[in-house]
Amino acid sequence: MLEIGVDTGGTFTDFIYRKESGWGVLKVLSTSGDPGQAVLKGIDLIAPGKDFRIVHGSTVATNALLERKGAKTALITNKGFEDILEIGRQNRLKLYSLTYKNEPPVIRGDYCFGIPGRITAQGEEDEPLNLEACEAVIQRMLELEVDSVAVSLLFSFLNPKHEIIMGQMLSNAGFSYSLSHEIIAEFREYERTSTIAINSYVKPLMEKYINSLSKATGENNFSIMQSNGGQISSSTAGKEPVRTILSGPAGGVVGAQMLGRICGIERIITLDMGGTSTDVCLIDRSLPVNYEGEISGYPLKVPMIHIHTVGAGGGSIASLDTGGALKVGPESAGANPGPICYGNGKEITVTDANMNLGRLRPEHFLGGNMKIFPQRIKPFLEEMARYAGLGADQLAEGICTVTNSAMERAVRVISVERGYDTRDFTLFSFGGAGGMHAVFLARLLQIPKVLIPRDPGTLSAFGMLMANVLRDYSLTVKLKVSDPGVHKRLLEELMNLKQKGLEDLVEEGYPEERIIFESFLDMRYRGQSYEITVPFKEKYEEEFRKKHLDLYGYENRDRDVEIITLRLRARVFRGEIDIPEEEVKTNKLSPGAFLGQADVVFSSKKWSTNLFDRSRLRYGNSIEGPAIILEYSSTTVVPPQALLKVDSIGNLIIHSGG
Amino acid sequence: MDFNPVLLEVFKNRLSSIAEEMGVVLYRTAFSPNIKERRDFSCALFQGDGELIAQAAHIPVHLGSMPMSVKAILQNIKLHEGDMAFLNDPFQGGTHLPDITIVAPVFTGNGAADFFVACRAHHSDVGGMAAGSMPLATSIFQEGLIIPPVKIVRKGEIIEDVMNIVLRNVRTPEERKGDFASQIMANNVGIKRLAEVTKKYGLETVKFYSQKLIDYAEEMTRVTIRRIPDGVYEYIDYLDDDGQGTEDIPLEVKITIFDDEMEIDFQKSSQEVAGGVNAVYAITVSAVLYVISALGEERIPKNSGCLRPLRIVTQSGSVLHAEFPAAVAAGNVETSQRIVDVLLGALSRALPEIIPAASQGTMNNVTIGGWDGFRNIHFTYYETIGGGTGASKEEDGANALHSHMTNTMNTPAEALEFDYPLRVESYHVRRGSGGTGNRRGGDGIVRELRLLTDAHVNVLSERRKYPPYGLSGGEPGSPGKNIIIRDGQEMIKPGKFSASLLKGDILRIETPGGGGFGKKQ
Repeated sequence: MLEIGVDTGGTFTDFIYRKESGWGVLKVLSTSGDPGQAVLKGIDLIAPGKDFRIVHGSTVATNALLERKGAKTALITNKGFEDILEIGRQNRLKLYSLTYKNEPPVIRGDYCFGIPGRITAQGEEDEPLNLEACEAVIQRMLELEVDSVAVSLLFSFLNPKHEIIMGQMLSNAGFSYSLSHEIIAEFREYERTSTIAINSYVKPLMEKYINSLSKATGENNFSIMQSNGGQISSSTAGKEPVRTILSGPAGGVVGAQMLGRICGIERIITLDMGGTSTDVCLIDRSLPVNYEGEISGYPLKVPMIHIHTVGAGGGSIASLDTGGALKVGPESAGANPGPICYGNGKEITVTDANMNLGRLRPEHFLGGNMKIFPQRIKPFLEEMARYAGLGADQLAEGICTVTNSAMERAVRVISVERGYDTRDFTLFSFGGAGGMHAVFLARLLQIPKVLIPRDPGTLSAFGMLMANVLRDYSLTVKLKVSDPGVHKRLLEELMNLKQKGLEDLVEEGYPEERIIFESFLDMRYRGQSYEITVPFKEKYEEEFRKKHLDLYGYENRDRDVEIITLRLRARVFRGEIDIPEEEVKTNKLSPGAFLGQADVVFSSKKWSTNLFDRSRLRYGNSIEGPAIILEYSSTTVVPPQALLKVDSIGNLIIHSGG
Repeated sequence: MDFNPVLLEVFKNRLSSIAEEMGVVLYRTAFSPNIKERRDFSCALFQGDGELIAQAAHIPVHLGSMPMSVKAILQNIKLHEGDMAFLNDPFQGGTHLPDITIVAPVFTGNGAADFFVACRAHHSDVGGMAAGSMPLATSIFQEGLIIPPVKIVRKGEIIEDVMNIVLRNVRTPEERKGDFASQIMANNVGIKRLAEVTKKYGLETVKFYSQKLIDYAEEMTRVTIRRIPDGVYEYIDYLDDDGQGTEDIPLEVKITIFDDEMEIDFQKSSQEVAGGVNAVYAITVSAVLYVISALGEERIPKNSGCLRPLRIVTQSGSVLHAEFPAAVAAGNVETSQRIVDVLLGALSRALPEIIPAASQGTMNNVTIGGWDGFRNIHFTYYETIGGGTGASKEEDGANALHSHMTNTMNTPAEALEFDYPLRVESYHVRRGSGGTGNRRGGDGIVRELRLLTDAHVNVLSERRKYPPYGLSGGEPGSPGKNIIIRDGQEMIKPGKFSASLLKGDILRIETPGGGGFGKKQ
């Protein structure tokens, strides 16, 4: 069976698949109105009439939310809490704005209904569900022609009785619905309700997309990438689309992890520098998981890879502010007008700065297929340089320095501030613009080595293809470690979760013996509000105290420890990865690899710099900085004192030096 | 040393991220709901002379007062490497007693402290006549334990003798102990990071650019003021009462703008009153800095430079410059909001296109304390409630949001019911409470808490009488209401009250709506 990874992007839909000898890659223009068209076209080209299975990074749910094109959705919650989505946490995201407003909720106020009936914090029914009120709400929703219903009741994770009754009534009335305890059985009602609301909001669209793809490809032969870096069956994705909403950047990170593993590199900081922003992520053997995140101001309580984003990319605009500081971003020139050197822009971007310094080569930009106007940059740059009291080249280098400093800050948040020493990691750069900044960033953080993979543009599709099957389950238990019978209770609950995981995955067709379970506990000192997740092993309390010490610098021997949430992850491993290696190691450059020389500025000085064609570099080639490596969609800068080596699978490994 | 705009931005990034990282350590490990859930704290870095370099954007009410803490400690104590000092005395660098500030010096091998780091956090109890230490008092001695600037850490070790005095004077000592540990750790992170930065760039460079950052903030603030037309702008508004019988307390301001300087004269405001709505000078400064920050660009660092173009004139012994031993607990949370209202009211005459009508103008402080028979512990629960924000020329106000001097989060109902003998009956938008107008003021909130045990309730709120004003012909927002419901009977309570309630009683708080803008068409 042919396996294909498919990544739907804004411009291209990327395909990657196994061939007899190695890997095949295909790019098809994306069809934004109906993204499935591009997917089907690619499959037709790769596997006409053959058996295949695809793993798909879909942006359907994300776009439905960001563009506000979801279904007509209603919320059912407890009486008195109808405005839960509107109130949120009653705080503002900007402290000093006089006219601040939160994003309006995805469900309108007049589509939010409260029903009498309460479960207590002990999971007991304090007030039965008012069935008449339920009926009345159902009638009203029929009149309103609601397409999708979110149900989120207080303490449903302790006792789901009321949500289950509600679900049956909704099912009888023919509604599509989601129940909060089925997707996230965790406490903190606003975050849970927000998650369920978004799930219901995007669900009808996702189901439609999956059904139409299934019709064309046959059922049960495609999976969808989730925000947690694993894949799930298309049918689960249809029911729980909220799990896919932040899956976009996950593919690249999983790709980096998988490729890193092949190269024997297990501690990685990824750098995905795009046009308007840069994503960074720290992989310490396993992927970092967050159990809560947000998208355009809405909290999402589903497991996701912890990726940190900073508003600085190749298109970020540089300017001098009124106080005289040089600022870069978050405003971006975008695709239109784009950087000055693309022909229309009038504001200096990071790309222009790199072009001015000679680090970007106009004659090789996108393989020489795009006309570039480097001479346009100078007048703009010189004008700003005069104001700044700097030389033009000095300013251009300054723009790169400020950009690097913004990225440094982002990396510090995920590394140093979490107790990691950056010197133990490899910087793995795969976005279009990252190769020009990676070594400089590595030096700022004392990262010894930079890796730039072969075909950096398809790393995301590769990650999807290689991703494990992952399903996450959770339950808020809120127990004290010192309570009698805690361990037994945890094991019982864990068994229930395992049973559910087993049923789900066996139903999806995975053999029981290939399913691996991992369990975790979210713990905190009694009285704290933030939990630390530790593996659920015998010495979990010790583990928690140690991790608290590592992260925050102290432990508290006298204080009781609480277990808040029990987590289970069910995983099905994919097969081993087989990437063909070059066998012959050579220090000799192939003919055509050397493209000539150019003047490039480093540390305010012009250096005569060698240019190379990446596609002609071979295993064992070694290049001293300064050098520039060119390929179709990206450029790698090797500054003076850095040393580049090509490894046996075509990765560029740069020893950052300096 | 030559100035370089590139390095200025690099240091701005680096130094403010240190203050932010200190904050993360603090809220993730703290025990007081005020710190961990409501984020009522601040972290900052200072020069060796006590000038503020960078403060993380946590809560505006601490803006002006953090430097006064450091200066109070500099004047009183000699700190050596590994030492830390703390204080909460509102008349020596503090704000109100629950806000405890811990200051630590940073040495880089010069024998003298090159920098200071500090963090302030609102502890949930510091003793005094009522649980939560925000009582209806008439003197600071009733409000809780007063900590003057004293050493709390010597050579890396907590001074147990001092700590024991504090712990013996508060209702929830275990929680205090945990919060102090969090604050000390936050300072340690700040010390460590500052040392790393100095090692990398050299002490002289770091000092040079921290000075430049202060100059930079000054310049940006001057640009902000230059955008306000020159002139004299006045406004008067009133506090409802002080909870001790004095009503209609005037706060009056006269703002004079001349080119890039601004004089803010509060001398016509009321004298000190008996109840705790008195604000110490630091609070008044914070409110002014908040307004300046809100008018300026977002990227202006919050540091000592922002103050240089300002002249703030108060009369000592007044409600906006209280003197020892006045009661001041509500100055921080309530009066600070009204100072912002009068400042914005005055500026609306200069900048009618930009300045919005009044927001709810209160924090609606609710403290509930008593014996929790389910868990067999003494409990103190404190929360603040959002309300409507004011409409502006172009936009309606926002519903159900914290405004101006506070930005604290709510406690989730599920978190609250897990830990306290309370049940949230209702938490919804108070529809129709925003002032009408061409643009509507935002609506307030209705929150109902049912007591599952007998308990003592203490409420500090404002804008129950004087509603949040509208502008340009817009109507004011509805004033708030405090209600106790016992056996179905509603009892209206005043803006500031203290009461012993019974199991089953419901405390219902209706928060004010924001003012409207422009005549309704």
